[in-house]
Amino acid sequence: MSVAELKEKHAAATEKVNNLREQLRQRRQQLLDTDVAEYASSQGRSPVTFGPTDLVCCRTLQGHTGKVYSLDWTPERNRIVSASQDGRLIVWNALTSQKTHAIKLPCAWVMTCAFSPTGQSVSCGGLDSMCSIFNLNSPTDKDGNLPVSKTLSGHKGYVSCCQYVPDEDIHIITSSGDQTCVLWDITTGLRTSVFGGEFQSGHTADVLCVSINGSNSRMFVSGSCDATARLWDTRVASRAVRTFHGHEGDVNTVKFFPDGNRFGTGSDDGTCRLFDIRTGHQLQRYYQQHGDNDVPHVTSIAFSISGRLLFAGYLNGDCYVWDTLLARVVLNLRSLQNSHVNRISCLGLSADGSALCTGSWDTNLKIWAFGGYRRVT
Amino acid sequence: MAARSGGSSFVPSLPPPCPKFPPEYPDLYGKRRETAKIQMLQREISFLEEELKSVESIQHASRCCKEVTDFVMANSDPLIPTSQKNQKTRRFWKWLCGMPCLNLSWICCYSGCSCNLKCPWCCDYNLCGRNLCNCSSCICSLCNCRSCNCSFSDCNLCNCNCSSCICSLCNCRSCNCSSSDCNLCNCSSCICSLCNCRSYNCSLSDCSSCKCSSSDCSSCKCSSCDCSSCKCYSCNCNSCLSFCTIPKWQCCSFPKSHCCRKISCSRNRCIFPFASCTDCCCCTWKCPCRQCPEVCLCCSCRKTCCNPCCLLF
Repeated sequence: MSVAELKEKHAAATEKVNNLREQLRQRRQQLLDTDVAEYASSQGRSPVTFGPTDLVCCRTLQGHTGKVYSLDWTPERNRIVSASQDGRLIVWNALTSQKTHAIKLPCAWVMTCAFSPTGQSVSCGGLDSMCSIFNLNSPTDKDGNLPVSKTLSGHKGYVSCCQYVPDEDIHIITSSGDQTCVLWDITTGLRTSVFGGEFQSGHTADVLCVSINGSNSRMFVSGSCDATARLWDTRVASRAVRTFHGHEGDVNTVKFFPDGNRFGTGSDDGTCRLFDIRTGHQLQRYYQQHGDNDVPHVTSIAFSISGRLLFAGYLNGDCYVWDTLLARVVLNLRSLQNSHVNRISCLGLSADGSALCTGSWDTNLKIWAFGGYRRVT
Repeated sequence: MAARSGGSSFVPSLPPPCPKFPPEYPDLYGKRRETAKIQMLQREISFLEEELKSVESIQHASRCCKEVTDFVMANSDPLIPTSQKNQKTRRFWKWLCGMPCLNLSWICCYSGCSCNLKCPWCCDYNLCGRNLCNCSSCICSLCNCRSCNCSFSDCNLCNCNCSSCICSLCNCRSCNCSSSDCNLCNCSSCICSLCNCRSYNCSLSDCSSCKCSSSDCSSCKCSSCDCSSCKCYSCNCNSCLSFCTIPKWQCCSFPKSHCCRKISCSRNRCIFPFASCTDCCCCTWKCPCRQCPEVCLCCSCRKTCCNPCCLLF
C-alpha cells in the first residue's frame, strides 16, 4: 500500500473515531438526567454558610525564598513537605510551624513533592525529568545537605506530579510532560509500568497531575493538556480504563473524592468538574464568573474529608470554597484576614480533615482551620 | 541491406544514450509511521465501540448524584460550621468545661461539645511554656508544645546563641545564625551577610540597597525586592501563559518561535526565536550562556548551566 493510500485510510479512521465519539457523547447526554446540585436542591439541602471567623488562618509557614509550587501532608503526625522555586524542599511541623528539614535539591527546577506514607521519606520531581527520593533519617553530607537516596530516571520530559501509592513506601506514580505516567519500584529504581506513550492508548499531550484512589490504590486518575482526565488500573498499562471528556482546556489538577468512586478536576477553562469513575458521567460542573470577563485557570483543588467542600485555587489569586452539593461558592479564602498576597499554587488537606494547607507564589504556606467560636487568648 | 565490399560491415544505429531514473527506494519510515498511526486509530475505534455497548447498561446520573449526596450527608466535617441549635448547646458545655473547678472534659467530649475538636489548631504553641498548654476554649491535655533545645526552657525569652544549639531545631527569637543556610534557622533577625534569611532591610524596592551579596536577585533572594529592577526571574505576564514553554505555567520570557510554521507543531516544541529552526521535530537552539556554546535539542538540554537559559521559571 502506498503512503498516499495509507493517508487516505488514516483520514477515514480518524473520521470514524470522531463519529463514534460523537455517538458516545450523545448517548451519555441522554443518561445525564440531573446533576448533583439539582438533585441536592430537590432534596431540600441548604448550602453551607460560613461566618467571618469560621475558617481562619491559624499558621503561616515562612521560610521559602521563592514561589511555593507544591505541598503534601503526611498521613499522620501533621507534617508537611513543600517545594519551591528556591530549589528547596522544606519539611514542616504544621503544629508548631517549625522546620525540621530544609533539603537543597540537586536540580533547583522542582515542580512537585510528596511525603511517603510512613513519613520516612520525601520525593520530588521537576524539569530534570527525574524523581528524586530523600530519606529523612539519613545523615547529612559534609556540606550539611541531605543526600538523594534514590533517583528514578526514565521519563523523557519533565516530572509534573508524583504521589506515593498509599500504605507502601515502595511504589510511586509520576506524571510527565512526555505524555506518560509511570509506576516505579523505588527499591530497584526501575519502572514497573508505563501508562500511555507513543503507540499506546493514552494521553496525547503533557500529563500534569495524578491522584491515586485512597479506597483502591490500584486505580488512579491523571489530567493532561489534551483536556481529558483518564482513569488507569495499575495492572493494565496498555490502555486507560476510561477517558473523561468535557473540559475545554488543560486539566491542571485532579483529586479523588473521599468515597473513592468519584474524582474532581480543575482546568484552564476555569471550571472544576466532578466525574463518576464507574459510569463515566460528569456529575457536576463548578463555575462562577470572576468578573472582568476573564476566565482564570484552576491551578489546584482539594476536597474536605466529607466531600461537602471543594477548595479550588485560581490563577488570579482567588481560592473558592465550593459547596459541592449545591455548586455554590460559600467562601473565598482570598477575602479572609491574613490571606495570601499572591496566587495559590497548591492545596492540601490534612489526613484527619481538620486543616487545609495552601501554598502560594508569595513564598508562604498557610494553614486554615475551623475557628468558629473558639478563641485563644 | 546493402552489403558493402572491401571488408566493412553494417552496424545498426543505437538509440541515443538515455540515463536511467534512479531506483525508487521505498519510503519505509513514512509508511511504517502511517501504518502505526492507523493501527492506533483502529484500536481506538474498537475501544469506542466497546464503550458504546457498555453505555447501554450503565445507570443514570441521578443514581450517582444520590450516592454522592448520601455519602456527604453521612460524614461529619471538621471544617464545616455546626448548626445554630448545636452552637448554643455547645456554648453551654464549653462554658461548663472551662470552669476551673470542674473537670468535665469527658462529659464535654461525650456530648459532642467543642472540647472534642483537635487541640493542636486551637492552641497557640508560641504561648505555651509548659507541656500541657491550657487553651482558653479547650483543655489541651494532648497538646505537645514546642520544646527548646537551648539552655532556656521558655523560648519566647530565649536569647540563646544558636551556635550553641542545633539551628535546625532552634526556635529562639533572637539568634546569630552560624548556619549559612537560614532556611534551617528560624531566627527572625539573622545577620544575612551570607545566608538567605529574610532581612528586614530588604523592604526597599531597589535590591542594590538590599543586604544581599549581589544586586542580581538570582543570588539575592530578597523576599520584597522589586524584581523588575533586580533582574529576578519573576514573571506575571499572562500573555506568556498561552505561549509558555515546558511546563506551560512556568514563566516564559521567550515568545513562541516564529520559525515554527507547521500547524501540527505543539507549543511544547519550537519555542525559541532562532531562524535555524526549520522543522518542529528538529528544533534546535543555541544557548546564550557562555558556558554552553553548543547547539542542542531544547528538549534534551541537560547541562546545569543551561537551565537558566532554556528552562525559565
